[in-house]
Amino acid sequence: MRWRLRRPGFWQLVFLVILGAGLYSTVVRFTGGLGASTALSDAFPWGLWVGFDVLCGVALAAGGFTISAVVYIFNIERFRPIIRPTILTAFLGYLLVIVALLFDLGRPYRIWHPLVMWNPHSVMFEVAWCVMLYTTVLALEFSPMVFERLRLQRPLRILHALTVPLVILGVILSTLHQSSLGSLYLIVPEKLHPLWYSPLLPVFFFISAIALGCAMTIFESFLSYRAFRKRLEIDLLTDLGKVIVVALAVYLVLKVQDLVGRGALAHVLEPTYEARMFLAEMMLGVIGPMLLLSVRRVRTDHFGLFVSALLVVLGFIMNRLNVSITGMEASSGVSYFPSWTELSVTFMIVALGFALFGLAVKYLPVFPEMEREVAVPPAVAVLRRPWIGTTPLILILGGIVFFGALGVAYSGLSYRERALASPSRLEEEPNIAEGLERLNIPPDVTFPQGEGSPGPVTFRHASHINWERPDCTVCHREPFHILKVEGEASSRPARDWHDARHCGRCHDGKTSFSAQEECAVCHRP
Amino acid sequence: MGSKKGLLFDATLCIGCGACYQACKERNRLPPTATHFLEDRLSDQTYTVVKKRGGRFVRQLCMHCEVPTCASVCPVGALEKTAAGPVIYHEERCIGCRYCMLACPFGIPKYEWRKILPRIRKCDLCADRLVAGRPTACAEVCPTGATKFGDRQELIEEARARLRAHPQKYVPRIYGLEEVGGTSVLLLSDVPFERLGYRTDLLREPLPLLTWQVLQKIPNFVIVGGVLLGGIWWITNRRQEVQRRERQERGRDSGEPPRDLPEPSGSSSASDSTNSS
Repeated sequence: MRWRLRRPGFWQLVFLVILGAGLYSTVVRFTGGLGASTALSDAFPWGLWVGFDVLCGVALAAGGFTISAVVYIFNIERFRPIIRPTILTAFLGYLLVIVALLFDLGRPYRIWHPLVMWNPHSVMFEVAWCVMLYTTVLALEFSPMVFERLRLQRPLRILHALTVPLVILGVILSTLHQSSLGSLYLIVPEKLHPLWYSPLLPVFFFISAIALGCAMTIFESFLSYRAFRKRLEIDLLTDLGKVIVVALAVYLVLKVQDLVGRGALAHVLEPTYEARMFLAEMMLGVIGPMLLLSVRRVRTDHFGLFVSALLVVLGFIMNRLNVSITGMEASSGVSYFPSWTELSVTFMIVALGFALFGLAVKYLPVFPEMEREVAVPPAVAVLRRPWIGTTPLILILGGIVFFGALGVAYSGLSYRERALASPSRLEEEPNIAEGLERLNIPPDVTFPQGEGSPGPVTFRHASHINWERPDCTVCHREPFHILKVEGEASSRPARDWHDARHCGRCHDGKTSFSAQEECAVCHRP
Repeated sequence: MGSKKGLLFDATLCIGCGACYQACKERNRLPPTATHFLEDRLSDQTYTVVKKRGGRFVRQLCMHCEVPTCASVCPVGALEKTAAGPVIYHEERCIGCRYCMLACPFGIPKYEWRKILPRIRKCDLCADRLVAGRPTACAEVCPTGATKFGDRQELIEEARARLRAHPQKYVPRIYGLEEVGGTSVLLLSDVPFERLGYRTDLLREPLPLLTWQVLQKIPNFVIVGGVLLGGIWWITNRRQEVQRRERQERGRDSGEPPRDLPEPSGSSSASDSTNSS
């Protein structure tokens, strides 16, 4: 078999450009450190790599555990055709999360430490174990595709017997992991904006992950359909659309109940950056798709499903970024925007995900019935001519949701600058009278008379203090130790004291009288 | 080791001389980071600062919480509350996830952003000096007693005595007595603590309780979830098997060929997508 270089197509070129930029940023990250490669700071220690790559990457796996639970545990067989692509997505999602973690951790080579150094009180510890265990489970769930391809019957039979326990383990680990990412933020009640901080954060993260899992399944089915001419299981996807509506409805009800219960509902209508971003997120990812998908005509339409799924994905990403970035900005007192290095690494990771998905579909039996069927028009019974065509309807509804959310978010930006601009307050001069009353300055130090010296010198702290504004740091820098060092005074050779590093620093004839000339001021017999 | 040590900082006594700042730099061998100490801020090279706020000088340093949030969130136990009071850092364990920085309610842990192999940096309450029976460097050099070192319990008594002696002067509260479950560094002030830059809206309970409430449910969740899912599988699987047997028998009775039904769960054959019409 001969390999020839083909002229790269448009998407290959895009991929190569993203990969190139990402690789360059990788070099910057690992040679210059996090400070040189990110916009992170002491005030804002978690940015895009956590907010997008990790929080959203993990949620990609939600489709995998939802569909495999439906098929294997609830024995609803008709979803079997889409189980493999969702498991593949989940597996890739987790692999990419690990890659992102290697970028984000300050000491990536210690990523294995949670295996042996335990702290069960840490949510991050739980997250670390979930990543490790669930990646293993996903690898096992994914491996039949490889074994089938290689025609290895023995491992296939073993895995076959293990399927149900693996799926149960996967569902449990996934539930723990999706919710624990929300639990991460339970510890910052005074930092995360009240629109997002809630004791129910783990529940919100879990439910939204299920909606996203279904939406990603729809989304990637359409991409596979376009890229590989894979038959579209439109009726299955329509059912997933219904699941999304239910998940989002539960989410919305809980969210409203939670806001009301915590008395945070009023924050929604406040003219703040956070409120607008929150509204945009809810419109884009919850209310908009619910609206679209509850219209039967939209749900059964290719384009309608695609648009709705896309909105869910965008809204979900916005939610995770809001929790991890928007909601944390005000309390941190700084504004964060990812550096181009963070962005290009993220793009590279996403592009790698797409590329690996494509490769897997090409070389592995991901879609078992890959007969390259010509897309069958969906079996939708159009009984009567509707007053408006389906595509215009989707375009109008989707457009309203998307651009409405965009507008709301944009309107919030003007509040952002105002909120982050530090208030300039007139500071009163500190009242130090009481402290001065109790001032206990170190005792006088007498330096013995050296050889050829006109007399001993007594150093008095009291005469070296500016009593209006006492400031120890004027002199107490190297080499004038402020901490007690035994025998300091007597051990120094005499000549040192006159030069510019000691008394001569100020006694230079300009700042104060000269140490070289006016001997009698200090040396008193 | 004896009882827990701590610091009492009294904002009414601080004259803003910067001795504590300088002593901390000296003890930790940290390079100069600002032209004047009042302009400096906490960083990987500065573990305590003196700030001019609300008409007072106030110190900022690690509070050494009784139940430290940073230690609870660290996945590898790199931060530890010692019996003597200090919250110390085990550099060799740290993986660099920076969750401690996100979680600390006082914003204390700082990171060596400029380094290839960065560490968390913060005040360790001079843990080595404490072992040797000496006070912290900052307390040793404080010329007014604004920063006082001692047993936490005795410092609380001292603070109460000061509040009793000058009830009209002080804000009637010891900051750090109850904040996030109590801290080893205690503050007194005659101006409201918010004006000194200290949050007064912090919870009374230790923050780790917030996550522990969720985390402690995990073992139960795993067991109950496993049994529940296994049970559901058993029921649905059995029901399907029974259905298939029945149909097969009925098919045999009526002489019709048995209908092709999907395999029970676990099959990965490619031919069972028939039921999706």
